[in-house]
Amino acid sequence: MNRPVQAFLLLLSGSGLLHVSLFTDVCLRYVKPGMQPVLIVTGVLLLVLGAAEAWSCLRANARHDRADRRADDGETDTPDGLPHAHAHGHDHGHGHGHDHSSVPRVAWLLFVPALSLLVYAPPALGSYTASRDTVKVVTEQRRFEALPATSPLPMTLTQFTRRVQQDRTQAIKGRTVQMSGLVTLDEGRDSWYLTRIVISCCAADAQSVKVRIHGAPALPADTWVSVTGTWHPGGTLGTQSAPAELDAGTVEEIDRPVNGYSDSLPLVPSR
Amino acid sequence: MGKMAELAGEAGVTTAVAAPSDGASARGPIPGWLYLWCMAMAGFGVVILVGVGWLNAAAVQAWRTVCLAVTVQALPFLLLGTALSGAINAFVPERMFSRALPKRPVLAVPVAGLAGMVLPGCECASVPVANSLIGRGVTPAAAFAFLLSAPAINPVVLTATAIAFPGSPAMVLARLIASLATAAVMGWLWLWLGREEWLRPAARYTGHQTGRSRWSEFRLGFQHDFLHAGGFLVLGAMAAATFNVAVPRSVLDVFSGSPWLSVLFLAGLAVVLAVCSEADAFVAASLTGFSPLARLAFMVVGPMVDLKLIALQAGTFGRSFAVRFSTATTVVAVLCSVLIGGVLL
Repeated sequence: MNRPVQAFLLLLSGSGLLHVSLFTDVCLRYVKPGMQPVLIVTGVLLLVLGAAEAWSCLRANARHDRADRRADDGETDTPDGLPHAHAHGHDHGHGHGHDHSSVPRVAWLLFVPALSLLVYAPPALGSYTASRDTVKVVTEQRRFEALPATSPLPMTLTQFTRRVQQDRTQAIKGRTVQMSGLVTLDEGRDSWYLTRIVISCCAADAQSVKVRIHGAPALPADTWVSVTGTWHPGGTLGTQSAPAELDAGTVEEIDRPVNGYSDSLPLVPSR
Repeated sequence: MGKMAELAGEAGVTTAVAAPSDGASARGPIPGWLYLWCMAMAGFGVVILVGVGWLNAAAVQAWRTVCLAVTVQALPFLLLGTALSGAINAFVPERMFSRALPKRPVLAVPVAGLAGMVLPGCECASVPVANSLIGRGVTPAAAFAFLLSAPAINPVVLTATAIAFPGSPAMVLARLIASLATAAVMGWLWLWLGREEWLRPAARYTGHQTGRSRWSEFRLGFQHDFLHAGGFLVLGAMAAATFNVAVPRSVLDVFSGSPWLSVLFLAGLAVVLAVCSEADAFVAASLTGFSPLARLAFMVVGPMVDLKLIALQAGTFGRSFAVRFSTATTVVAVLCSVLIGGVLL
């Protein structure tokens, strides 16, 4: 890989990172929001590094040209001085940092994520992952506060599951709740899953939280929806025998929120 | 598999074509740019015309997302690591290391292992740093102890572990001790059995040369290391994404029953999943079907051996080193976590 290509690759990687972190929220499809400022800094650093390399290439090139010209002049005037002058000019132009200029071929692979980020960013993980990955275990909660009186009551999938399976006071009984997530189909059944994919660092460690939805036709897989409804009765409410399922009243399509990779109430839609 | 593979193939072709252009580029930078643009455009044409249909299949999408996620998550840490290694090479005088570390290599190994505490990054950062340490005259055994311990015992990782396992400080302590022990044992093992010829000579790390600008030395070293390691990072991310998408997690349940198999299985899982060391505690915490001992093994092996790390090491130190070193580290890490986990957990 020669030096102009290295400069180009650095500039491309830097712009790719800035494109997904500074100008859009695309990076939230891959990493946690906390990484966004870090990615911006990384992008800027790569741009600076690429610009420095491009600048040094241009200067080396100009020097090289000048040296060539001087060498050519020298040829007509004093033939003796020629070999020395030319070799000297050449050294300065290209010998500079020679041990670093031979980046191995594997570096070409960096073009893949750089271009991918710039022009062909893959979507956030969705129902495909949710239908295959392990279900995130809902942790134990001992004390439950009284539920607010709001109706419909906005809840996360985890909160709903806890209320159904752990809250002995059965406060969730008869309440209308509102939850959001993406649609995961369950092959061969009428009901479907409202799903949240949860990541702890990047999309490689995704886990999912699911609540089964009854009584509403499923939208296409991976659609983000907001569902209101009541608990789907079964087993004994407040124990593990109660299923984390919902009888849907309304199903409304929404945009993917910025915090789409956490099981929390939706914030603004992502850019 | 997907556009990545397509582009990877294209990159291979481009390299082959661009190789002669290196000679041509002695006249100026223009031919390089031209080649690059032609290849990029041709590659895009192919991807857009042929690939779009099957590129949108759910599995391919998931593969691309995971691959890109691993790369994007690791790039800042890789940049930090390569900047540090460039700085060590250009700015830190050699005598500083000989003063800071004990003269006898046997003692230098545990000291270097403990020094790993100060590098707050994940495993991608530690490989170039260790390489530049070797270049600056640090004995390889001590540099390897640092390489192994740094991603596992730094404050960020230990805090993450404490958050992921609330109410079990023993897990944090066990992780700290088991990781340190593994790092030290591997360092001593290198002193005992290691051979210099397995290592690719780190000729580039010559330190500061008089008559050259330190800044330009720093910049060129930084840039070279970043591009070099970055390429291997992408390679490792591709491998990890393949395992991530191809192996369904339900396979886990088969192994969670037997205590011995589960330790070995989670150690193997840590290698193929290549989860960043700052996140692996959360993944370990989610593997609730497994014993704490198996989860400890997952967290001790993960930061020291995984697919992207093997790729990075193979690129930095050479293939014959990476294979031997990773195998030995896996064995030692599993033994250490069983011993220490057995006592503490």
